[in-house]
Amino acid sequence: MKLKKNFILIISILLFNFFTGISLAVEPNEVLEDSNQEARARNISKKIRCMVCQNQSIDESSSPLAKDLRLLIRNEIKEGKKDKEIYKFLSDRYGDFILLNPPIKLGTIVLWFLPIVFLFFGFFIIFNHNKKSNKI
Amino acid sequence: MRNKVLIIPGIVFFLILLTFFYLLIIDRDPSEIPSNLLNKNVPEFKTTTLLKNKNFISSVEFGNEVVLVNFFATWCKPCRDEHVYIKRFSNENKLRIIGINYKDNPEKTIKWLKKLGNPYSDIPLDKNGRIAIDWGVYGIPETFVVGADKVIKYRHVGPITKKIYKKINLLIESLE
Repeated sequence: MKLKKNFILIISILLFNFFTGISLAVEPNEVLEDSNQEARARNISKKIRCMVCQNQSIDESSSPLAKDLRLLIRNEIKEGKKDKEIYKFLSDRYGDFILLNPPIKLGTIVLWFLPIVFLFFGFFIIFNHNKKSNKI
Repeated sequence: MRNKVLIIPGIVFFLILLTFFYLLIIDRDPSEIPSNLLNKNVPEFKTTTLLKNKNFISSVEFGNEVVLVNFFATWCKPCRDEHVYIKRFSNENKLRIIGINYKDNPEKTIKWLKKLGNPYSDIPLDKNGRIAIDWGVYGIPETFVVGADKVIKYRHVGPITKKIYKKINLLIESLE
């Protein structure tokens, strides 16, 4: 019985965290007054890699550089910059690596489309193989 | 025909294996990210400097000679480790070295330099880390080689070791 209670408690805490999206890294004094702007800032932060931890976004990271970048993004938003301009500002300095979504470019085209090519190649082999075995 | 097609996956697998071992064997650090500023002009910035207390304007300070730019702080242990090599660049190569003091306490920095020696010709202050962001710096110490044409030729993340010292030396010789 007690076990069940604990289980429900844990699940509800997890669900609460999941739906509210509380982040431990963003400090209260960083949050913008305008909730619309704040939402934009959070959205951008989630797509920017923390260069120090490398597999976290700056929204999740508590490293000092991540904090600096979060504040910088908020300042840019307050100054009326568009999301696109902010992404460009960051990738101009830190390279495409800072974007958690790699852009489709000449250098990354292989990365995006080679799996599809391989898939078709696989189909081709299976198709060919089956055709021959049917003949026998 | 059937055997020929079946050999292709084998070849592909072998190629993947080859790439895998190649990347294991070569000397590389996967956590080191190439700078996006390579072959681009130095970022523009203005700030005050330590000791000389002058206004440091990047557009005036770069472009006359090959310059080494070193981001450092007294709270950064690897910066202390590489300081020997920074001094060698100053003493032996007679290089102009700009030491950008990252998020540091000026008094502590003066003490630190008195104790360890000051190889820097200018020490611009980056109190809030904004200049570092413009340089794409993500972990100090970081060192840049800037050519006489204001173009960034090389960036190293982490402390300068003997190997990196030699590498930068060769690069500077080729630039001068």
